[in-house]
Amino acid sequence: MKNWIQVFSIIDFISVGILLTAIAMNALRRLESCVRAYMFNSWLLSFLIAIVAFMIGEAHLYMASIVTFLSKGIVIPLFLRKIVKQMKVTHDVEPYISNALSLTISGILVAVVYVSLREGIFVTGFSRNVLQISTAVILIGLFIMISRRKAITQVIGLLFMENGLFLAGFSLTFGMPIIIELGVLFDMLMGVIILGIFAIQIKRAFTSSDLDKLTILKG
Amino acid sequence: MIEILLIPVITAAVCYMLKNYRLISYVSLTGAVTLTGFSMPVIFSSMSSPHEIMGGMLYTDALSGYIMALVIFLGLVSAIYSIGYLEHELKVGLTDIAGMRRYYALLHLFIFTMLLVTVANNLALMWIAVEATTIVSAVLIGFGFRKRALAIEAAWKYIILCTVGITFALLGTFITYYASTAVMGTEGALNWTELKEIAAKLNPSTMKLAFIFVLVGYGTKAGLAPVHNWLPDAHSQAPSPISALLSGILLNTAFYGIMRFVSIVEPSTGEFFTGNLLIIFGLISIGISSVFILVQDNYKRLLAYSSIEHMGIISLGVGIGGPVGIYGALLHILNHALSKPLMFFASGKIQAHYGSTRIENVNGVLSSMPLLGTLTFIGALSLAGTPPFNIFLSEFTILKAGVDKGLWLVVGLFLLFVIIVFYGILSGFGKMLFGTATGLKSESAEEQSVKGAETFKLPNVLTNTTMIVMALSIIALGFKVPDFIDSTIKTCINVLGIR
Repeated sequence: MKNWIQVFSIIDFISVGILLTAIAMNALRRLESCVRAYMFNSWLLSFLIAIVAFMIGEAHLYMASIVTFLSKGIVIPLFLRKIVKQMKVTHDVEPYISNALSLTISGILVAVVYVSLREGIFVTGFSRNVLQISTAVILIGLFIMISRRKAITQVIGLLFMENGLFLAGFSLTFGMPIIIELGVLFDMLMGVIILGIFAIQIKRAFTSSDLDKLTILKG
Repeated sequence: MIEILLIPVITAAVCYMLKNYRLISYVSLTGAVTLTGFSMPVIFSSMSSPHEIMGGMLYTDALSGYIMALVIFLGLVSAIYSIGYLEHELKVGLTDIAGMRRYYALLHLFIFTMLLVTVANNLALMWIAVEATTIVSAVLIGFGFRKRALAIEAAWKYIILCTVGITFALLGTFITYYASTAVMGTEGALNWTELKEIAAKLNPSTMKLAFIFVLVGYGTKAGLAPVHNWLPDAHSQAPSPISALLSGILLNTAFYGIMRFVSIVEPSTGEFFTGNLLIIFGLISIGISSVFILVQDNYKRLLAYSSIEHMGIISLGVGIGGPVGIYGALLHILNHALSKPLMFFASGKIQAHYGSTRIENVNGVLSSMPLLGTLTFIGALSLAGTPPFNIFLSEFTILKAGVDKGLWLVVGLFLLFVIIVFYGILSGFGKMLFGTATGLKSESAEEQSVKGAETFKLPNVLTNTTMIVMALSIIALGFKVPDFIDSTIKTCINVLGIR
């Protein structure tokens, strides 16, 4: 089984899946699909952690995998879907730039990451690609945050960034102590809930879920 | 040590359960006073020797004791000020009992998260605590005691920007962990005490990368330019006692994280790397804020930009480094934590009185409210860095550190920006303080007698006493740094390992 994983480079396949779900965000038109893309991304992340746990036989990584699956793979997507329904927004993402341009920029980001991280810090990494992919996912998340108009897409961009960050941390150190992972996940969960509540309040106060309206405070 | 973490949580829970507004405010005050009482022995013992509990997860030394004392002091004065502030808001119908319960519960949770930052030994635990301060304070700004569109806008910007920023700090923490595994073999270290011992052996290029991420991450939270955009909105839209906490200590707890990292990174990379980065960020912050202070027409935003300026000065002090620079920076943290909350308290009262936060709508505060006017005047002079007030002393110390090291360009720019800020703050507050009072509602004799009676009510007396004490300590600290503060700061410098 362990040989299988190595021969078919399963880890690379999964991490490429993580990258693809992030890139797919650029092309998706509906908010529900964005939430689904995030859900797949989190499932792949937790699956990757489980595979590595199996390869190196670390019990606490199984725990990390299960906790990731439950929080990011189930609770947060369900919560986001509920928020999208409650806000009764037009379901369209309405990006500032066209999908083609957006995809191109994401592609350029991935290329830049691969070129600039060709030599750097790889010692404990179990696959050469994971660190590059995680950095690319962080940058794509950031790009989605700045190029979309809806409050919810900003939250999803942030969540993609955090998935990328977890992957990066994981490829560098085989995960943090479990208590720390739990603390970080708890903070994230709280943050998402608060952001969801704020998004609904923005919709009520500004009668729009577009962030264009949030320009009163400046200078 | 664990009791000082529990007390705010218990107070928050009790405040949330009560239904009587007067009872809530005094329970909150009792909680803050109890916290102060219980923290005294912890703070004093941490000054003399470091302590560890919970298997090294929590830890106090002189530096954390210093910041902890400031958190607890400002928590206490904010709890006192909140009583009168919220009673006024309740009376004019801007809040209700549900809002007050939420407000007081969140206030004490906010104090708890900041205390957790100061006692965390584990760097990842510190990150968790800093992120928790963001979440709790964003809710306080957005829903503080009532829901307003502008406050929600400010809170949204605040939580999004700070969470994105602080994500990078987590990456920096991961990289530090990675660097430590290379030194320690199997198990890496995240505890500050352990990292400190192996600091010289860490890989310099990895630590450089880690420090850049941490500086960007915690720097966003500390309000360093150019990632400061959340700060003026959040500070101007928060309730005044919360602005005081945000500005007086929250920024410093984030900066405390940077200081801890500096002392781990410096032994391997050399002091030029960290120092230069901090000097550059510090000067950019002072420069940008000085321009905005000059053109500002809203006094709460003016105070917020002044916070960016002072965080820039603290960063500059740490960046210049050496015992004198760090001494100046730590003293500046204390001075700023006294002057800025005083100004936010005063501006809350001015806002309640004039019903506007625009400078042009406020006139003649000194003649219409002599006591408040005098306190504001003292605070403004101190913030502008006028001698012989406290902030002048710490700015001068940092300046001296720069001159000693021969950093003439840095010193020159610093002086230029500080002069612009001096003019900006004094002209802004000068317009508000002097002249004859106009734009006030004319009051009937009956209303005036009601107001006169209220002056001697308990909340008002407590608030005024606190503000007078703060103003007096501002003046006293301007003449001489008391011996116990002096020795505390020197112990902190030792803890950081600066020679």
